[in-house]
Amino acid sequence: MEIRRGSAGIWMGLAMSAWIFGGAVARAEDPPAAPEADAPADPAARIETLEERLRILERKEELAREQAAEKAKSAASVAVGKDGFSIRSADGAASLRIRGYVQADAQAALHDEDLPAIDTFVLRRVRPIFEGGVGRFFEFKLMPDFGAGTTVLQDAFMDWKFGKSARLRAGKFKSPVGLERLQSATDLLFVVREAPTNLVPNRDLGLLMHGEPWEGLLVWDAGILNGVPDGGSADGDVSDGKDGEARLFVLPWKRTAIGALQGLGFGMAATYGHNDGTPRATGLSTYKTPGGLDSFAWRNDGTQATAPTAAGTTVADGRRVRVAPQASWFAGRFGSLLELVKVDQELTLGGTTDDLENRAWGVTVSCLLTDDTTSYKGVTPKRPYDPGAHQWGAFEVVARSGALRVDDDAFPIFADPARAARVARDRGLGFNWYLNRNFRIMLDYIETRFDGGAAAGADRPDEQVLLNRLQVAW
Amino acid sequence: MRHSVRRSIAARAATVTAAFVVLALAAPLALRSQAEAAEVKLLNVSYDPTRELYQEINAAFAKAWKAKSGDTVTISQSHGGSGKQARTVLDGLEADVVTLALAYDIDAIAQGGLLPRNWQTRLPQNSCPYTSTVVFLVRKGNPKGIKDWEDLARPGIAVVTPNPKTSGGARWNYLAAWAYALRKPGGDEAKARALVAGIFKNVPVLDTGARGATVTFVERGIGDVLIAWENEAILAERDLGKGKFQIVVPSSSILAEPPVAVVDKVANKHGTKALAQAYLEFLYTPEAQAIAAKHYYRPRAKAAADQAVVSFPALTLYTIDEVFGGWAKAQAAHFGDGGVFDQITETGK
Repeated sequence: MEIRRGSAGIWMGLAMSAWIFGGAVARAEDPPAAPEADAPADPAARIETLEERLRILERKEELAREQAAEKAKSAASVAVGKDGFSIRSADGAASLRIRGYVQADAQAALHDEDLPAIDTFVLRRVRPIFEGGVGRFFEFKLMPDFGAGTTVLQDAFMDWKFGKSARLRAGKFKSPVGLERLQSATDLLFVVREAPTNLVPNRDLGLLMHGEPWEGLLVWDAGILNGVPDGGSADGDVSDGKDGEARLFVLPWKRTAIGALQGLGFGMAATYGHNDGTPRATGLSTYKTPGGLDSFAWRNDGTQATAPTAAGTTVADGRRVRVAPQASWFAGRFGSLLELVKVDQELTLGGTTDDLENRAWGVTVSCLLTDDTTSYKGVTPKRPYDPGAHQWGAFEVVARSGALRVDDDAFPIFADPARAARVARDRGLGFNWYLNRNFRIMLDYIETRFDGGAAAGADRPDEQVLLNRLQVAW
Repeated sequence: MRHSVRRSIAARAATVTAAFVVLALAAPLALRSQAEAAEVKLLNVSYDPTRELYQEINAAFAKAWKAKSGDTVTISQSHGGSGKQARTVLDGLEADVVTLALAYDIDAIAQGGLLPRNWQTRLPQNSCPYTSTVVFLVRKGNPKGIKDWEDLARPGIAVVTPNPKTSGGARWNYLAAWAYALRKPGGDEAKARALVAGIFKNVPVLDTGARGATVTFVERGIGDVLIAWENEAILAERDLGKGKFQIVVPSSSILAEPPVAVVDKVANKHGTKALAQAYLEFLYTPEAQAIAAKHYYRPRAKAAADQAVVSFPALTLYTIDEVFGGWAKAQAAHFGDGGVFDQITETGK
C-alpha cells in the first residue's frame, strides 16, 4: 500500500493505524465466537443457509397474509358516516343500520287574539331508526318516535323480498295512499303537510304487497290493513272491518333521456273498507289546520244519541271509500306536488245515517335558488355549508295552496256549524336552507281562511302562523 | 247504529278472503324464490389434506345417488386445519357432515350441541372409514441421514410440521413422537417431553394445516424433513415432487383414525339428514374404499387394501387409547391452554 506524503496522507495513515490497532484490541476482548451450527464456514453452504432463512421468512410472511385474509373474510364491517352507523357481516347476510332525525320546531300564530293558538317550541319528531337485513330475503325497520313528549312506535315492519319487483310487508307502516304522506318527514317542502293529508291514512297495521319494478318506473302497492280514520294512525282495530288499499304510481319517462320529464309521475291510490265506530272509538277524525288547531270536528259528547238532535256522538257506520289521484314533477331546480283526495264515509248519529263526501286538494311548488337539484326524496347540496370555502349550501323557496271541504250534509246533525268549518283554505310561502344533506332550516308562513266554524253562521277568524324548523337527519 | 249480524259475518268473510288473496299472491313468488334458493346440496367440512380424496368421492357418490334416487346432489367442500375447522362449524359454518382428522375435534362439535355425544357409535369402526399414520418425507437421498424420531431433534435439522393448536395432523405428529419416546426401552415422560421439545425447537415455520406444511416443504423448499400424514407423504413422493423426495418410515408411529359424522342439527335444519347419512355410509362401500386406497389412505376393507397401488409399510402403530388414555386426556394434557405444547414452545422462545 502506498502512503502519500502530505497532510492527507498523514490523516489516512493515522486512520488506518487506528483501525488496525482498534480491530486487534476488539478481537482480543471479544469472547471466542462459538461455532454456529447453522452458519458453516464454507461460503456455498453459508449461502444455502442464508437462502433457506430467506425462504423461511417469505413463507412466514405468506402465512401471515393468508391468516389475515382469512380473518377479514369473517370480520364484520363497521361504517360510521353521514348516513348513520352501520354494521354488516362479512358475507353480507346480516346488517344493521342505525340512523334517525330530530325536528325542533317553533310556531307562532299572528293576530291570534280570537284563536286558542299557543306560540311554542316543540320537538316535533325525535326518531331513531333501526333497519337492516337478515339473510338475503328479509329486511326490517323499527322507528319509535319520542317527539312532543310521547313515545309512539311509528314503524315496525319486516319485508320478505321476492326480487326487485315484489315484496311482502307485514307489521305497522305507512298506508300506501297519500303522496305527501308517503314522502319522508325529512324531505317535506313545508314544515307541515298540505290539506289532503288530513284525509288519507297515516300508519296502519296489515299485510302489503309492494314493489318498484323497472328501476322505479312503476310503484305498486296492494294490501289489506286494519283501516284507520282520516289522517290517523292506530296500533289496533276498533271493528272487524278491514280496509283494502292499493296504489299505482308511474314515472313513464324515468328511464328516457328526456331530463325534464324523468321526474314527472302520476298515479292513483284508493282504499275500501267498512268502518264501524262507537262513542268511545268513533272511527272518525278531527281535521287540523297548519297551526295545529281543529278546523273541523264531528259531534262528540261521548254519548250515544237515540234521536237526531244536536247532541250525541257521530260514529262511522259502514262503508268508507277513498280515492286519491296524485302527481309530482321534479326537474332540476323545480319541484311540484299535486294531490286530490275524496273520502266517502257512511256514518250515524242517533237514528240518522248518511253517506258523506269530504274532499281536499293541494298543490306545492318549489324552486331552488342555487344550482342544485331537487327530488321527491329531498335535496343534497352540491356545495355543502363551509364558510371558509365560501360555500353556503342550497336555498329554496316554496309556495303552496290547498283546501279541505266537508260535505254540506254534515251540518248541522253530524257536526256543529258553530265550531266546525265547512271549508278551510290555506296558502303559504316558505324558505328552506339546506346546509348539507344532514342539516336543514325551514321557515314558513301559512294563512288559512275558513267558511263557517263560528257562531251564528259566521266564519272563523283566519289563522296566520309562522313555522320554523331546525332539522338534523343522518 | 246499525250492526247487522249478516253484514258482520260478511265483513269477516271478506276480510279473511282478502287476506288469503294477498298471501296467495305472495305464495307463488315465495315458492319460486324458495325453489331458487333450496338446491339439494351438502357441505362437507374436512381437514386439510383430503381435497383430492373427496373430490373423487363426491363425484362417485353423486353418480350413485342419482342412479338410486334420481336426485341431483352437489357436495361442497371446506378444508383446513382440523381444529380450526371444528371451531368454524361451532361458530356457525353450516356443515351437513364433518370429516375431520381426529375424534376430539368432532367431540368438541358434539359438546356444542350440534350432534349427539354418541356420534362415534353410529357408523362402523368408530366412524373411521379409513386410517393413516405418520411418516417422514425427506429430500431425495436423505442427505441428513434421518432414520427415526430422535434424528428430528438433532441440531441442524429443520423440521416441518403444522401447528398442533390448529391442525389435527400436527397433533398426530406430536403424539407419534411422544409415543415413540415413551414406549422405547428406558423411555419415560421426561424423555418424551425432551424429544418433542427438541423437535419443535427445530421447526422454523408452523403452518395451520397439513396441506400448508406440505406446501412449505415441497414447494417452498424449506426444511430437511416433513412429518406428514402417510397419504400426504406418498402424494408428495409420487405426484407432487416425483424424484425429489423419499419416505422414511420410523420404527413406530401412531394409528391415525380420522372420523366422520353427520352434523344432526344442521342436517335437520336443511332437511338433508338422510342424504348426509347415505353420503357417509357410502365411504364404507367397496367403491369408496378403493378411492381411499387410490389416494393413499389405508382403507378398512381388506380387499381394497390388497388392491391398492401402493403397499402400506408395516410398522408398530400405537393407538391414542393405549398410550394416552384417549383423546380427551391427550388434548387436555398436551394441547389445551397451558398444556405441554404451550410449555415447551414458550420455553423454546
